[in-house]
Amino acid sequence: MDLNLNHIDYLQVGVTSQKTMKLLPAVGRKATQKVAVADHDGVVNCFGMKKGEAVPVFKSLPGQKISRLELGGALGTPQEKIFVCSGSEVRGYTKKGKQFLSFEANLTESINAMHVSGADLFICASYIYNHYYDCKDQDYYLSGDKINDIVCLPVERVGRTVPVLACQDRILRMLQGSELLYDVKVPGPPSVLGLHNRDGGKDGEEVLYGTADGKLGLVQFTSSAPVSKWEVDNEKKKGGVLCIDTFDIFGDGVKDILIGRDDGTVEVYGLDSSNEPTLRFEHVLSESVTSIQGGCVGKESYDEILTATYTGWVSGLTTEPQQMEAGPGDEVKMSRETQAKVAALRAELEQLQVKVMQGREKYQQSAQSSTAVSAVPLFSINDRFTLCQDDASYTLTLEVQTAIDNLLLQSDVPIDLLDVDKNSAVVSFSECDSEPNGNFLLATYRCQANTTRLELKVRSIEGQYGTLQAYITPRLQPKTCQVRQYQIKPLSLHQRTHSINQDRPMNILRLVGQFSFAEIHSWVVFCLPEVPEKTPAGENITYYFQNTFLGTQLEAIYCKGEGNFRSDNISTISILKDVLSKEATKRKINLNISYEVNEDSVSHTLKMIHPKLEYQLLLAKKVQLIDALKELQVHEGNADFLIPEYRSILDESARLLEEYKKQPAHLERLYGMITDLFIDKFKFKGQNVKTKVSQLLEILDNYDLNSLIDFFNDA
Amino acid sequence: MLVPIYTLKLNHKINPRMVTMGKFDGVHPCLTAATQAGKVFIHNPHSRGQRQASHRLSQSGQDSDISLLNINQAVSCLTAGALVPNATGHALLVASQTNLLAYDVHDNADIFYREVTDGANAIVLGKLADIQSPLAIVGGNCAIQGFDYGGNDQFWTVTGDNVRSLVLCDFTGDGKNELLVGSEDFDIRVFREDELVCEMAENETVTSLCHIHSSRFGYALANGTVGVYDHTARYWRIKSKNHAMSIHAFDLNDDGVVELITGWSNGKIDARSDRTGEVIFKDNFSSSVAGLVEGDYRMDGHVQLICTSVEGEVRGYLPASKDLKGNLMDVSVEQDLVRELSQRKHNLLLELRNYEEHGKAGTGASEAEAQMGVIPANTQLQTALSVQAASESQRGHVELSISTPNETIIRAVLIFAEGIFEGESHVVHPSALNLSGCVCVPIIPPKDIPVDLHIKAFVGGRTSTQFHVFEITRQLPRFSMYDLHVDPSTPAPTGRVSFSISDRPQRVVMWLNQNFLLPEAISSPDVTFTSLRGGGLLTISMRSSGEITLQTDDIELAGDLVQSLAVFLAIEDLPTEADFPACFEQLRGTLTEVDEFHAVRQKMTAAIGDHSNHIRNMLVQAEDARLMGDLKTMKKRYIELYDLNRDLISEYKIRSNNHSALLSRLKAVNQAIQRAGRLRVGKPKNQVISACRDAIKNNNVNALFKIMKAGTASC
Repeated sequence: MDLNLNHIDYLQVGVTSQKTMKLLPAVGRKATQKVAVADHDGVVNCFGMKKGEAVPVFKSLPGQKISRLELGGALGTPQEKIFVCSGSEVRGYTKKGKQFLSFEANLTESINAMHVSGADLFICASYIYNHYYDCKDQDYYLSGDKINDIVCLPVERVGRTVPVLACQDRILRMLQGSELLYDVKVPGPPSVLGLHNRDGGKDGEEVLYGTADGKLGLVQFTSSAPVSKWEVDNEKKKGGVLCIDTFDIFGDGVKDILIGRDDGTVEVYGLDSSNEPTLRFEHVLSESVTSIQGGCVGKESYDEILTATYTGWVSGLTTEPQQMEAGPGDEVKMSRETQAKVAALRAELEQLQVKVMQGREKYQQSAQSSTAVSAVPLFSINDRFTLCQDDASYTLTLEVQTAIDNLLLQSDVPIDLLDVDKNSAVVSFSECDSEPNGNFLLATYRCQANTTRLELKVRSIEGQYGTLQAYITPRLQPKTCQVRQYQIKPLSLHQRTHSINQDRPMNILRLVGQFSFAEIHSWVVFCLPEVPEKTPAGENITYYFQNTFLGTQLEAIYCKGEGNFRSDNISTISILKDVLSKEATKRKINLNISYEVNEDSVSHTLKMIHPKLEYQLLLAKKVQLIDALKELQVHEGNADFLIPEYRSILDESARLLEEYKKQPAHLERLYGMITDLFIDKFKFKGQNVKTKVSQLLEILDNYDLNSLIDFFNDA
Repeated sequence: MLVPIYTLKLNHKINPRMVTMGKFDGVHPCLTAATQAGKVFIHNPHSRGQRQASHRLSQSGQDSDISLLNINQAVSCLTAGALVPNATGHALLVASQTNLLAYDVHDNADIFYREVTDGANAIVLGKLADIQSPLAIVGGNCAIQGFDYGGNDQFWTVTGDNVRSLVLCDFTGDGKNELLVGSEDFDIRVFREDELVCEMAENETVTSLCHIHSSRFGYALANGTVGVYDHTARYWRIKSKNHAMSIHAFDLNDDGVVELITGWSNGKIDARSDRTGEVIFKDNFSSSVAGLVEGDYRMDGHVQLICTSVEGEVRGYLPASKDLKGNLMDVSVEQDLVRELSQRKHNLLLELRNYEEHGKAGTGASEAEAQMGVIPANTQLQTALSVQAASESQRGHVELSISTPNETIIRAVLIFAEGIFEGESHVVHPSALNLSGCVCVPIIPPKDIPVDLHIKAFVGGRTSTQFHVFEITRQLPRFSMYDLHVDPSTPAPTGRVSFSISDRPQRVVMWLNQNFLLPEAISSPDVTFTSLRGGGLLTISMRSSGEITLQTDDIELAGDLVQSLAVFLAIEDLPTEADFPACFEQLRGTLTEVDEFHAVRQKMTAAIGDHSNHIRNMLVQAEDARLMGDLKTMKKRYIELYDLNRDLISEYKIRSNNHSALLSRLKAVNQAIQRAGRLRVGKPKNQVISACRDAIKNNNVNALFKIMKAGTASC
């Protein structure tokens, strides 16, 4: 079945956080629902739609930034009380806008996730989970990594309080009281949770999750063990999931899953007969979708998907067909409502213009005085810097509440900036003077009008670390720019995993010295991505990592005074050794570094690289042939005379070219890593083999695994 | 929404920018394009299967609608149109880097086949000025040649650099066509026959030109810029990160005014209003656009816009019908209007908030305010331009110094300017240790052009994360790389050009002050500069009789000065006398080299004939041996053949080297003529160019130099 949804804008509020818009339950049958939305200005805005016009129900006063909005109410009654959290405070409003609750949780950090169920309140602030009943402290839990979201299985169905935490370390933690009952490993850092079918689905135990790298899954939390139902991979490399809802938008009696992503994609997944999800609808908005819910807002008896975006647009994708009643004239006639709306907007704009002119004049005048200062408030930036597993590169996304004028990227480490198709800004690379200013990359992006979101791709080299800085200038008077910093870590291409293969030949690096647990943890944080900044509880800790490019692994076990790092890639160990000893020297700590080099590990790593390298070489060779073969084909009129191998290249040419285009410089990167491996292997033996690198490259040019391994052994 | 009325897949690749439409039988339009392997294909769906293969033409094996024309050389440009007076059908003109073929497709016969020594990068067919018969005008390396249907050279002129695009249109509105030429020295020139009507300076290679209506024309540059000129004034332009492959004027929304259609390298096609540049329609191909043409391809009396991609996909678009009401894109006008107004309101509100918060700011002492980048309100940036002579560590440059008057620091400086940096911007980002309130930017403009420097400076405190952006525009005068300081030991220049003007010396002083970067205004027209580029001297002197002498060794600089002065003083015709012994000596050498290379070429061409006979013999012998079963002889013959093949390849390399050397010398000759022309203004200039041409044709080198010196051959 084809779904045809029309996009309608309802209202714009301030910048919104994730999960800050909800629909209030409908009063009576077939009536439209009211919308409650909260923004960074601290305003809760509740409105309904009447004849295409947003009619406010209530609007709270501005205050601190609101990070979540949830609905609640006594169990068994309509959930129509509005709860918001801002800072460490939770406030409650009735549907009429009367504030009935103000609860200060007395946390040092601000609340970033909340769940309300009857008189139970669950809040999470970075690592801490708190459960209150009637505003009285009940349970407490300290998580190993940041908590991104929380849901509770419906009490009325499972008969007990079961909170589920989504933690940054790729784990869903299910609690019982203040204790961890069990955890579920998921394929990416979970960013959002949602009850399946809004009521937990079968037995009320099913929870949907979405990850920051764009994956999706359903887990059943039984009382004894988790059951993973299904997972949806992110093959098309869409953005991370920010919000989830379940709603029957197709009207076929089966609830569909609605997904909002941070690249503006809205998706509807349907469940087929075997309960497997399939994508049934997709729509792309221009900015991150922070909240999503199915319901009926714009017009009675027309269901719609309501979304709120980062810059505060509340809009609907409605099943109501767009009226195209064109008038007799040449101009498309606007409906009377829109005309009124436009006129009102224009009048409002004029008033604002006058006010702004006054403001501008005053600002100019202040420039004359010698005592006045010029201070412009910070504008909000929504930014993410994430490692993309598939092509081992970083994606930097920047989103600003108003149009971006230009962006300056500066880096003090050598990195490559890759072209992104979606990005329409004109890039220009400037000459860099690495001495004395230490710039390795200076690039400006001049954005086209109305660009509020920019996506860039950056490729780093392991072992070279530093900072990438982005200076963002929006088109807003008085002109200001804000700088954001992103760390490029020494082992930048590593990613956390749940386990490693212990059978591989491993090299070991052992550190012994007078350092505290916190100190060694801070060094690990400095070296590796995805490690929580907070020193973990307990005496020792184990982390597992995987190199996203080569697939090699790293195990880090450390405690006060001792650290053990094991990896099958000798380059990884070498980088760690260099960085850790440098860091320790900086703090004047005596380190006793010992290592065990496993000779087999080198050939093991080479064998791991082998299929990738071989595939890339073959691909390069095939791509090289395509043009010549096509020419032959044109010359001869057909391709029948070619050997099957060449014919298959011709048949697959489009796919081959696309693949080749998708991973530029892949081969060079592999060559670079093999060269590093070669140098590092002999570095541990105390030999400098830089002179032999040219020989190595020669061998790589006529690549053969055995001769390469022989070269590594003989040199 | 406008959709293509037909889509074809031709299964032949199309070379970019080499697509045309011709009615070769006088009735049926045929899409004609250059493809791989030195072939041109003619798509003729109207007369299926009637065509016999003969002469150059052969039927394609894959598709019966397509005939292939073998050129056996890489095609560089092609066009079709009425060349032969009184002929019914169009002629097809195909040019390679060395030859031009005029071909009658209908009769399968050559009209003429000419050698074009100056290469052919662009071709256009039509009537020029007062010349009676239509000309095929070919733009090559610095030269433009026009041939009539007999292959006779009817028109010749030179231009500043390699020609990349040509178009014929009535630019001046006198009822006769002028020739617009876009070249690699970033200039668009307008010629009425060989008289230069006007020149427009752009900032990149001009890759495409197209006539829109009356004196309005569209242009595209190699850096992704597309725009529209009306006469000599730019109407609008836009820049994309993609490259415009082809531009065409077509009335797509059927409002009686043509739009500028652009085909982009990423496969996008957009139609923009000729007045505003606003996009009224867009569509996407999966691969780069190759060319845009128009024609009545369905033979129903309606002309379509036909777009082709490099992969051979063809789409035809009919102008929009009335019921679309000019709304070609699938958007709701109302929605967009409301959204745009709301967006504006949002921006104004944000600006207003900035002013409100600004008033509240304190002294800048607190940490939060330090982050915000609070600066004294009376902070004003000072900028200064000065000429810096070459020192040991740095080349001579123009220095732009930017400083703040107080303790604030400049975090980074972005300079956006056209044509003087590698990209469109230059960034100075001092490291955190070197931050100060003063930044010096060395600028070395590669050419003598006036440039607007758009400076953006980020000003704030040392620990700020937000900075004030100061936007300043400074103009760099045309001749900025000339320093008044003169080293007395520098030898006086040998080249000079002298002419008389009737203006007062004060006017010349004014010109000097405006066009040179002088530390302070000068009062006398007698000055000497040191060129920062080459180090040579430039002396300008003026006698009371009005005779001006420019002394420099750089003939190009002399030309630029003469042209700039003539424009400033509004001189229409200016004969000059010149002598540049060094340049003339070089030209003499070049001319001898040209003769040598010509001789080598002829010798080698003869050798090829011998070889091909040899090959034929050997092949016959080898095949005979095979048929006789004498494998030994066969093998021997094939080995010989292989050796011969190798010889041929190496000989080919020699030939192509020889050819490119020859081309570069010819280009140098053309450039010398152009430079000699630029020393004069108006009629004397055209006289010099045509006299030089005659001298070269007659191989009269001494006369050539005489013309260059005196302006005519007679005296």
